[in-house]
Amino acid sequence: MFKKILFATSATNACDHAARVAFDMARRYNAHIDAFHVIGVPTRGFSQVVVDLTTGEQVALDDNYRDLVKEEIRAYYDHQIKPSMDCAIEVAVGEAHREILRLARRTQPDIIVMGGSTGATGAYAARRNITGSTFQQVAKAAHCPVMVINRPAGSFWGGFSNIVFGTDFSESADTAFAFAFDLAKTFDCELLLLHALDITGCQINTLHSQDDIDDQIRKARQQMRFRYISKMRDFKNYEVDVWEGIPFVEIVKYAREKHADLIVMGHHTRKKTGDGEGALGSVAEQVILRANCPVISINRPIPR
Amino acid sequence: MMMKKILIIEDDPAVSDYLKTFFEDNGYNAFTAMTAQGGYDLAKQEHPDLITLDIELPDEWGPRFYRKLAADKSLKNTPVIVISGLSGNKYAITKAVASLSKPFDRDELLKIVKETIG
Repeated sequence: MFKKILFATSATNACDHAARVAFDMARRYNAHIDAFHVIGVPTRGFSQVVVDLTTGEQVALDDNYRDLVKEEIRAYYDHQIKPSMDCAIEVAVGEAHREILRLARRTQPDIIVMGGSTGATGAYAARRNITGSTFQQVAKAAHCPVMVINRPAGSFWGGFSNIVFGTDFSESADTAFAFAFDLAKTFDCELLLLHALDITGCQINTLHSQDDIDDQIRKARQQMRFRYISKMRDFKNYEVDVWEGIPFVEIVKYAREKHADLIVMGHHTRKKTGDGEGALGSVAEQVILRANCPVISINRPIPR
Repeated sequence: MMMKKILIIEDDPAVSDYLKTFFEDNGYNAFTAMTAQGGYDLAKQEHPDLITLDIELPDEWGPRFYRKLAADKSLKNTPVIVISGLSGNKYAITKAVASLSKPFDRDELLKIVKETIG
């Protein structure tokens, strides 16, 4: 399933945890890995003068500089790149998310692996606050699953064996389920299916009665059976749960409680209610930022 | 009174020996394992009162070891102290009684051990 990994990196310690997971996956699953770094943004248009995102300095870009950066990246990950590993270092110039997506379109990786926040400062970071960070833009638009490891604690697992699949019964959740199920079968994992029932919408004087909530939980469990369990045939290593609360909190809590080593979710998990599909603060993005394990978000069906 | 037992799971022999001597000098019965599997087997056999756990082990990562421990009824309430040099280690096992970064302060460690198991 993971034969080709695109690891997008700032090549700084902000991506060390993502690197730990990416290189571990490459070794574990015998995959080709492209470590990809976007050097910086041209000062304007097709200018050869580029603001290096790592150093914040303006540099004249030529092949020498590219080679130098590649060399530096190889040295930085030297202890993680095993001699037997099929690893290539790629660099490019431009807006990070756009270049990552461009390379992904060209090389068609099975998965993009990246860190959550690079902790960038200065003008670039200020602009990013408006447009959304790189991982948000990549996760929103990518054609393949995107794995984000935002917190160092998410990188201390080594492989996958307990997968949490978070669903809101949307179409993109169905896509995510297909991927999570494939993953669970392929790597012989336990699949933990969770629906987090959103009870935050209620006002103080219109609190749902517990009977209402329990009814909704029962309905959600039926949905789970209908949408997912029925498709799993003889796969028995699963658990189904419905927890009520604030969805992202419940998913993060559930993953922690179950010692999950991976969470899989659809990215635009909100149904078409017109409330800012994929906007900042969507459930998937909050889970990505907070989880104690890697999170894979999926946008669209994965071609088989 | 029976001496309290501490299991040290640590792959670096220098740290492991240091901890063993340190705990023994302070009146505990300490034993060591270099791997997660070895640690688990020893825990099953000895039922230690406390475990110190490194995050990065040769065969498995600390959180995965803890998951196995937590799934075992007879071991799940064993207090665990994480001792690791990795950044962010205090978030790795949220149910650990404490997380210490290497190099750690031995007085602080002893204080935590005393508070936890006496």
